[in-house]
This record gives sequence, C-alpha cells and structure tokens, in this order.
Amino acid sequence: MSTVKRTWVVNGERWTVDLPPGRRLLDALRNDLGLKGTKEGCGEGECGACTVLLNGEPVTSCLIAAGQVPDGAEIMTVEGLEKTEGGRILQEAYIERGAAQCGFCIPGMIMSSFALLSKTRTPDDAEIREAHAGNICRCTGYEKIIEAVKLAANRWPEK
Amino acid sequence: MRTVEDIEIRFPGSLAEALAWQADEKTRGRPLAGGTDLMVQWESGVAAIPERAVSLWGLKELKGIRETPRGIEIGAMTTHTELRSSPLVREKLPALAAAAATVGGRQIQNRGTIAGNVANASPAGDLAPTLLITDGLATAASASGRRDIPLAKLFTGYRKLDVRADELLVSFTLPALPAGAREKFHKIGTRAAQAISKVMGACRVRVQNGTIVSLAVSLGSVAPVPVRLPELEQWIAGRRVDLNLLEEVERRASAEVHPIDDIRSTATYRKWVSGRLVRALLEA
Ligand SMILES: Cc1cc2nc3c(=O)[nH]c(=O)nc-3n(C[C@H](O)[C@H](O)[C@H](O)COP(=O)(O)OP(=O)(O)OC[C@H]3O[C@@H](n4cnc5c(N)ncnc54)[C@H](O)[C@@H]3O)c2cc1C
Ligand code: FES
Ligand code: FES
Repeated sequence: MSTVKRTWVVNGERWTVDLPPGRRLLDALRNDLGLKGTKEGCGEGECGACTVLLNGEPVTSCLIAAGQVPDGAEIMTVEGLEKTEGGRILQEAYIERGAAQCGFCIPGMIMSSFALLSKTRTPDDAEIREAHAGNICRCTGYEKIIEAVKLAANRWPEK
Repeated sequence: MRTVEDIEIRFPGSLAEALAWQADEKTRGRPLAGGTDLMVQWESGVAAIPERAVSLWGLKELKGIRETPRGIEIGAMTTHTELRSSPLVREKLPALAAAAATVGGRQIQNRGTIAGNVANASPAGDLAPTLLITDGLATAASASGRRDIPLAKLFTGYRKLDVRADELLVSFTLPALPAGAREKFHKIGTRAAQAISKVMGACRVRVQNGTIVSLAVSLGSVAPVPVRLPELEQWIAGRRVDLNLLEEVERRASAEVHPIDDIRSTATYRKWVSGRLVRALLEA
C-alpha cells in the first residue's frame, strides 16, 4: 500500500505523518498521533462527536481522508483547548453550567462552541443552536450547553 | 475486507493533470471532492471501494465565485459555507444561498461542495432545485475540451448524470436574479437541522402589479431526478395573485408530480405536500 507524507500543525505542534491517503483523519489523530480525546460516535458524519477544527473551521474528522489535509494545515482537537485562553474559558463554563453528563459528545460539541465564539463574540440563541446543529447529545437536552456557551461568550477574551 | 485505507487516492497538482489521468481507464479514479457523501458510502459499504480516487479538493482552478456576462460562475469545489456566505450568491442567487445554509450542520457545510451535491445526484440533494430555476448550465471538462450542459438536461435518471467517465464537472454558470424578481427555497424534513429532505423546492418568480409575469419552480425528491413544473409555469403566466389562484396552484402542482414511496416518505404524502410547498413558495 502506498502512503503519503503530510506535515500538520496540531494543537500548535508540528507533526509529520506517513499514512494511507484514505485513512480517516479521525484515525490519524487517535492512532498515529495518539490524541484519543476526539471520539467516534456514528462514523457517518451525523453525530459530530469527532468534530475537530481544520484551519479554524469545524469538520467531522470521520469523513475526511487524511491525505486530503494538506501540508501546513492547522488542526485543533479537544486536547488543544487548554492551551488557549478561550478554550479554558469554555471548559470552565461547561463545568459551571453542568453541560456535560456522560460526556461522550463533549469533545466534538465544545470544538463547535470554540469555532463559534472565535468568530461571533455575542451570538444569539439561534446562532448558538445553528452552530451546534451538527452535534448530537443524547443526555443534556442542549439547554445547559447553550447556557455554557453564553457564559463563555461573556468572558471571552478581547483578542 | 477492503476499506477506505486501500484506496489509492491521488493528488493532482492541476486540473490538467487530473483530466489527463481521467482520460485513461488505467489511471482514472473516482472523483473525490469533500467526501461527505463518498466517505459515508464507502465506510458504510453502500458503495464498493474503488481501486483509485482522484482528489479534487484544493484544485485552484475549481474554486471561486465570479460574475460573468453569462451569469454567476461558481467553481465546482465551492463549499456550502462559501455559497451561503458569498455576498454575490446571497444577492443574485438567494435560493441557492438559502439551500446551502440548510445542508447538514456547519461541519458538513465546510466540506461539502456544489459539484459533489450535484454529482451525487441524490433525488434529495438540496441544491438542485435552486440551480434548475435559473435555467443555467454546468460545465464539464475532459482532456479533449470543455462542454456546457444545460442544467435541465444534466440529470438523466436516478443517480445518473450526463457526465462522462473521462469528464469532471468544473463549474456552474447561473443567470442572476433579474430585476423585479424574487426567489425562495423551502425544505421539508423530519427535523429543522441536519435532516435529509422529504420534499424540497425553489422558485424564481416575477410579479408586476399583482400579476405573475413569469415563474420557474422546481421540486426535488418527488421523482428520480429534480423536476421543473412546466405545465404550472405556463398556466400561471399573466394571472393575478389572489387566494383563488393559490388554491388552484396547490391543486395543479400536486397533480403535476408523480412521486414514489421510499424509506423517507410515501408517495401520497409527497404529492400532497408538493402542492402545499409550491403554494408556500409563491406566498411572498
Ligand atoms: C450528516 C450529513 C448531512 C447531510 N445533509 C445534507 C442535506 O441536508 N442536504 C443535501 O443536499 N445533502 C446533504 N448531505 C450530503 C452531502 O453532504 C452533500 O451532497 C455534499 O454537497 C456532497 O459534496 P462533497 O464535496 O462532499 O461530495 P463527495 O462525497 O466528494 O462526492 C459526491 C459525488 O460527486 C462526485 N463528484 C464530486 N466532484 C465531482 C466533479 N467535479 N465532477 C464529477 N463528479 C464529481 C463523486 O465522485 C461522488 O460520486 C449530508 C451529508 C451528511 C454526511
Ligand atoms: S463520528 Fe464523525 S460525525 Fe459521528
Ligand atoms: S453528554 Fe452524553 S451525549 Fe452529550
């Protein structure tokens, strides 16, 4: 099997991988890089548990062939959150509002929250719901997640 | 069992290189755009794992949205996110912008492309009706040249397109909304977000002093291919918009479609809802 070499910046660190081009980005992150924070729910793009940020935009890593992620791409996973001020604010807000129950959806959910707040400082309810429409949570009923995002929006750093 | 990891995905440096590969059966690969349809089909076993695929994602020649004398030209690899946020598309092709905003969630919109949506040729593809109402065209390229295909002739059957194996879709050219006209897109699914449509439709209509000058209306998921409603369109021109007209529109639209039962809905429901949908499209 022929492989391709790619160099990415993952959570601020340079990584070079050599992998079959069709390997799912999800598997590349979890197995080649050992970043097990990102979860697989459905494996079909529906649940959003595998959401990571690719150049700042949320994507479902179960649907991306890793070879299609070019050299120099910036990837942020749930492990990268605590390295940023906004990420720490979001984590605190999720905890304070009790937004996680079983927690399985959270590594993807919170990446969607991060992508939203990075662009929209004061999102309204509709914007928050739309930004998380690709993330399914079986436990919380979403209300506490929305509250957590609002709380984090209030505390979001100026820049 | 073969998996996605067994596919030899190739990464052309240019469109010309991709077309040269596609010209020869021995190097030809399945076109891979954002992968939001293909990766699901491959991983779930719905589609066979091919020997080769050709990644079109990132080819500069297939990106971009610009205004030309023939209409708004949209590169094949334009994503749903780019469609919904482009000022040009929002102003001149508002139904397309609206449809793109309803496709999946943000994650899908960031990867799914216009060409992938069209070429997947699912009867439930949300963009098709918004393209058909513009009377625009698709452009396919091969190593031996380019060819314009009127959108009305592009969809030839269930999951079939008039695009040859050695061709790639490169762009769509869509005449802008004319002055005095408006467009609307509406979709009916099981939930508001990230749901595959049971029936969806779009219209482009020009009304002057309460009278309909022209109407283009298209529905998806009511036939193996997205359809226009030519009988209704002809009948309605020159008529005044009032309650009676809307009731007659509902009746005629419902009569003009011949949907089927499938896993997402029934023929009876789709026939009924088609009438309601077209009526809703016309109610400003
Ligand atoms: C969770 C989820 C929700 C979704 N929701 C919706 C929805 O609400 N509405 C909707 O319409 N769709 C929806 N989709 C389907 C899909 O996201 C879209 O159809 C998307 O636009 C496909 O584009 P892509 O670039 O990912 O295509 P790909 O998966 O890369 O390709 C799709 C098909 O197009 C062919 N192809 C791609 N580019 C070309 C080209 N240039 N020339 C010739 N053939 C080409 C491929 O060979 C393949 O057959 C959803 C998918 C998922 C996973
Ligand atoms: S695991 Fe990727 S969307 Fe569910
Ligand atoms: S907390 Fe259990 S799925 Fe969301």
